[in-house]
Amino acid sequence: MDGIPLIMKYTLPAEELYKPFWEGLKRGEILGTRCKKCGTLYFPPQKDCPKCMASDMEWMDIGKVGEVMTYSIVLQKPQGFENFSDYTIGIVRTEKGIDLMCWVIGTPKVGAKVFLTSDGQRVLCKVRS
Amino acid sequence: MNRKVGIIGVGMSKFGKRNDVTVRELSWEAVKEAFEDSGLTQRDVQLTVIGSTAYRGTEIYPAPPVSEYCDLIGKSPLRVEAACATGSSAIFTAVNTIASGLVDLALVIGVDKMTEVDTATSLAIGGRGGNYYWEFQMYGTTFPTYYALYATRHMALFGTKEEDMALAAVKAHKYASYNEKAHFRNRITVEDVLKSRVISWPIKLLDSSPISDGASAVILASEEKIRELKIDTPIWIRAIGYGSDTSYIAARGEWVGLNAAREAAYMAYKMSGYSPQDVEYATVHDCFTIAEIMAYEDLGFVEKGKGTSLLREGQTEKGGKIAVNLFGGLKAKGHPLGATGVAMAYEITKQLREEAGPVQHSFKKYVALSHNVGGTGHYAFVSIYSR
Ligand SMILES: [Zn+2]
Repeated sequence: MDGIPLIMKYTLPAEELYKPFWEGLKRGEILGTRCKKCGTLYFPPQKDCPKCMASDMEWMDIGKVGEVMTYSIVLQKPQGFENFSDYTIGIVRTEKGIDLMCWVIGTPKVGAKVFLTSDGQRVLCKVRS
Repeated sequence: MNRKVGIIGVGMSKFGKRNDVTVRELSWEAVKEAFEDSGLTQRDVQLTVIGSTAYRGTEIYPAPPVSEYCDLIGKSPLRVEAACATGSSAIFTAVNTIASGLVDLALVIGVDKMTEVDTATSLAIGGRGGNYYWEFQMYGTTFPTYYALYATRHMALFGTKEEDMALAAVKAHKYASYNEKAHFRNRITVEDVLKSRVISWPIKLLDSSPISDGASAVILASEEKIRELKIDTPIWIRAIGYGSDTSYIAARGEWVGLNAAREAAYMAYKMSGYSPQDVEYATVHDCFTIAEIMAYEDLGFVEKGKGTSLLREGQTEKGGKIAVNLFGGLKAKGHPLGATGVAMAYEITKQLREEAGPVQHSFKKYVALSHNVGGTGHYAFVSIYSR
């Protein structure tokens, strides 16, 4: 017997809060936040600095080049991504020492040098050939 | 711990695709067996802790219907959740309630029905098992992907091969073939694993634990209560260590082992006074084959990067230096998230009591350990038991 369906649809909160990040992505810039008081750089960006309890942050570019730390190619996709072709999720360490998740374009290898870019919706990294 | 706590009754349902029952009947299978095993009844129970992630099943608030069905009304059903470490967090809650002196006897039920939603939905729920905003929403992570990121890095740094990881699956299926309650009882080969469908490279279908339904139950009591009940075979919980790590996997700094598990293990060894060399039997959280290899390393059974050597040399087989997952592990026994940690306590109790039948390990010191990871190392519990 089919159960009564539960259809859930979310509205992402904090649209204003992270607007500079999303706008940066459209320009191909990857922005994190830096605490003006203690200098801690956050990625993903944060509104608050729990290290020094301050909430005075500035937006900052986290770097343009990096290195592939690890990756995986997703063939079995989750609900919501069924219509995408296979994609490669990677973790990249930028020149500024920030580690972030991204989609990898090209044939990855652990240790490969990459350029950070964006498709306007997510961070991409392109393997330097 | 202020008061010693022991396990005095255990039960476990058949794991697998269980659309013959709802979460209530499924729970009762385990609870009934735990009562029969201990010779106790609902009247003896002072507190019920239900470990369930619930989200994949119809009953998203499972504690009330389960406690009603099991005739446990009035025994404070409390539900706890810690993703795949839910069962251990439920035991942790009950143990501490007893150790503190608040109650003398508690029942822990671990249950989940994960097959009630389709695979794509299940993958989406699992993929949110990290940092929704910065992972799932943007990149379409799945739960296998998170472990695949560890596998790729482990392969690159230590030369671990897909064939090595496959050995963990082969071992799991071999032992599950002796376990009537296991989800899968078929034997497989390294070739079968390598040829199976790629889910999130390098993780393939047969590197992965199945989406399962199942329940398990344990009855815990204080030392005083155990004496009063004249129970002569309690299994003592000597230590429960816990650890945690970032939700955003990229922020962990390294991807070859789980910091949370290492912290939990350190705490458990310190609390119990035992070292990795004392452990004769272990249940490890092998949700994916790479997880078993990392567990050997994180628990100190072998140095970092050398986990595959234990598999290749058969040292974690029955009769090996440390027998691991002789009931089939999460990989083949099944992994209904809430039930898993409680099923580990079930398995260890059976082993330490020497009631494990064809897969009975031969103990010298009767020291065993369980390693239960929540999420992709977001939480971990390592517990040490002795007879
Ligand atoms: Zn600060």
